[in-house]
Amino acid sequence: MWKTILRRVLLMIPQLIVLSLLIFWLAKLMPGDPFTGLITPETDPHRIEELREMAGLNDPWYVQYWHWITGAVQGDFGDSYAFKDSVSSLIGDRALNTLWLSLFSVILLYLIAIPLGIYAGRYQGTWFDKGTVLYSFISYAIPTFVLGLLFLFFFGYKLDWFPTSGTVDVKYEAGTWDYFWNKVYHLILPGITFALLGTTTVIQYLRSEVIDSKTQDYVKTARSKGVPMKKIYSKHIFRNSLLPIAAFIGFTITGLLGGSIFIETIFGYPGMGQLFIQSLGQRDYSVITALVLLFGFLALLGSLISDIVMSIVDPRIRIDN
Amino acid sequence: MNKKNWLLLTVLAAIMLVLAACGGGDKSGEKGKEKEQVDTSKFPLEVTNKDEAIKGGTLKVALSSDAPFKGLFLYEVYEDAYDAEILSYTSNSLYPTKEDFLLDDDGLAKIDVDEKAKKVKITLKKDVKWSDDQPFTSEDVIYPYYIIGDKDYTGVRYDTDFQNIVGAKEYHDGKAKDIKGIKKIDDHTVEISFKKISPAIYSGGDGLWGYAAPKHQLKDIAVKDLEKSEAVRKNPVTLGAFVINKIVKGESVEMVANKNFYKGQPKLDKVVIEVVPSASMAAALKAGKYDVAVPNYPANDYGSIKDFKNIEILGRPELAYSYIGFKLGKYDKQKSEVVMDENAKMNDKSLRQAMAYAMNIEEVAKVYYDGLRTRANSLIPPVFSSFYDDSLKGYNFDKKKAESLLEEAGYKDKDGDGFREDKDGKPLTIKLAGMSGSDKDEKIVQFYIQNWKDVGLKVELSTGRLIEFNSFYDKVKADDKEIDMYMAAWGTGTNPSPMGLYSKNAEFNYSRYTSPELEGLLNDIDSAESLDPAHRGEAFRKWQEFMSENANVVPMYFRTELIPVNKRVKNWSVDYLSKDGVEKVELTAEDPIK
Repeated sequence: MWKTILRRVLLMIPQLIVLSLLIFWLAKLMPGDPFTGLITPETDPHRIEELREMAGLNDPWYVQYWHWITGAVQGDFGDSYAFKDSVSSLIGDRALNTLWLSLFSVILLYLIAIPLGIYAGRYQGTWFDKGTVLYSFISYAIPTFVLGLLFLFFFGYKLDWFPTSGTVDVKYEAGTWDYFWNKVYHLILPGITFALLGTTTVIQYLRSEVIDSKTQDYVKTARSKGVPMKKIYSKHIFRNSLLPIAAFIGFTITGLLGGSIFIETIFGYPGMGQLFIQSLGQRDYSVITALVLLFGFLALLGSLISDIVMSIVDPRIRIDN
Repeated sequence: MNKKNWLLLTVLAAIMLVLAACGGGDKSGEKGKEKEQVDTSKFPLEVTNKDEAIKGGTLKVALSSDAPFKGLFLYEVYEDAYDAEILSYTSNSLYPTKEDFLLDDDGLAKIDVDEKAKKVKITLKKDVKWSDDQPFTSEDVIYPYYIIGDKDYTGVRYDTDFQNIVGAKEYHDGKAKDIKGIKKIDDHTVEISFKKISPAIYSGGDGLWGYAAPKHQLKDIAVKDLEKSEAVRKNPVTLGAFVINKIVKGESVEMVANKNFYKGQPKLDKVVIEVVPSASMAAALKAGKYDVAVPNYPANDYGSIKDFKNIEILGRPELAYSYIGFKLGKYDKQKSEVVMDENAKMNDKSLRQAMAYAMNIEEVAKVYYDGLRTRANSLIPPVFSSFYDDSLKGYNFDKKKAESLLEEAGYKDKDGDGFREDKDGKPLTIKLAGMSGSDKDEKIVQFYIQNWKDVGLKVELSTGRLIEFNSFYDKVKADDKEIDMYMAAWGTGTNPSPMGLYSKNAEFNYSRYTSPELEGLLNDIDSAESLDPAHRGEAFRKWQEFMSENANVVPMYFRTELIPVNKRVKNWSVDYLSKDGVEKVELTAEDPIK
């Protein structure tokens, strides 16, 4: 087991190098550069050229790559051209915001989806089941920005129940309880939107697993032994039905940092998704490459975690050496 | 119908109702009615609120942006309009402006220009204090030059203009310890020597820097660390009406009144600026969440706010123009000059003029921009009243004239396919490059292509569609062969000198037209004779007439920017000529009116 993990981790290194080469090269292929957007009639083209030279943008891409990668392995991802801040502190701020939002909504998502999925499966064919299926189809069909805007207009502006932008009000002092609660308060609306839209997969998986499990031999055995139905559902079926969800758990955990462009833009919530899109638009190379590398690393890590979790919950696929 | 379907229908109906409720309002009444035209001159420059003001209060400002602000709160290093907007409340600006954006002398400092000696004497107002009670001295006026001139400075402001200061280049290159041309006479007087002095000096050009920087706060921070320092990002010391008190990075700023402000204590207690996503700006204004939307409200979305009862919409001309440019040559990077191509497809004045006459810009301005853009007749926005030539006719839509111009010049349809061939009888296809943006842009470009088709000219989009901003300028700059003409815009800033955009050596002279006559006209604008304002105005007019006649670039629209203000705000003005700033603003209710 440990050997496998170590092997997988070592394998990540060449994978990440290839990814970084690819993204670096592709980023440079994009038309324009970080200075294109700065041009006004009053800017001096010579100065722009000088800045390009200072930033090393006139070097061949492999030279730039070498500069970048040697910095990156030492933990220095350079400075953002647009924000004039170090990439690590910029990503750090945004990652924290995104992490809180995703964590909140993932917990909410499971709180909604798991009971719905289990009960819909258990009481298959009833009104409850039909309602759940209908709900999950609707939530699957609604585009993120539509629901986001609806919620924002209705709960944010019309009813004035929730804040409409940002992560925290400026009036609170960092570190106080009020500050913390205000942050949570800002999470609720985007968090709910995010959670409601993500429930479909979990509900559908759980529901069909529960329905399948009902006819499995182990359930029949348990019933013939006289185990009460309630216990069969809570102990036997529930655990087995969670398998497909466990398979995704790694991606869910690492996906927490991915962010959602739509949610972040609509709710004015500065997170990773928005940072990525904005950096692409402004050709903020250092941020783009660092983010892609991070996302790539998370994807690899996610699949590793999933495999490990799977081998823990499902002894049949345990990897041996 | 069985029960199942009923349920589905009910749910669908419910959703539609909700959606309809949200979309309602803006669509109603549009049908059957002639589309309303906005008379841009009717927008007030100042709010009309005359109610009695409350004491103090907090002004809530919505910063319309789909991305977090960058948060560089120092004039020497900031880069975008959002930071500039926030900075304007804490402004360290030395010179207020008057007509034509010329420097006035009733601010923190005034200039006396000695044209012969090429020197400028800056005299500071006495007894002014920074927000941290430190005195404001000539050191604070000199220090910005040392920031911009530093070898580690990474901004755009170390430019040719800046190098016009005697000794600036030597300092930047490390050959001198000081900038030789900058002399501190005493605590309130500074003298700066320039290599040359042009009329631009009166607009704050030629390398003169318009802002002070708190030397006592910044002196121990190396210039390369400036952008990351707390003095720039968190607690900048200011001379302006307000001082930054708290910041949520990228999201919001809280400011308090600066008790040391040189024009007296501001009327408001606080200003809170928050980023608001553009998609919800209208809803936010309607809900009375904010007092004012800055930098401005998108003109093409005017319809969704025009009927709100709780706001007043101010309008003013933007310092910008949209134009159409014809490619007539190339830029020689080695020699840094424009080289014209005699054989360029568009190198025929009649053809260019005809294309300009064929465009029904008036119709586009009316239909697509609700009249918030108007046909431009000149390359100088009318706000620069002494330079702008209002007598210029420009190219008012005239299909007949376009056709006759083409006939006379020899562009005739010989093979009868509905499109004119060029003078040698070869098929003529003109490639147009346009920037992608909203879906409106696509429609507008197609409309113009139809206009040209109507006079028999075949125009196609380069690359077959509109081009994304970065690629567009890459291609235009590289004189891409696929581009014969292009549609773009320039913001003019407050110094309207066209030298940087149309001279022989200007890289931004994207149409790549140059001629001795044009060079002469341009040089005259910034010449020594033009230090006389009357002469300069005349030089500007001559240049505008030449450009209009030559039609290598044809102005398309002037724009109006809209600034919605809540009705509880008093004394808010967007007039470029207004002397009163945010310090005079008052509120007439505890909360924004809903």
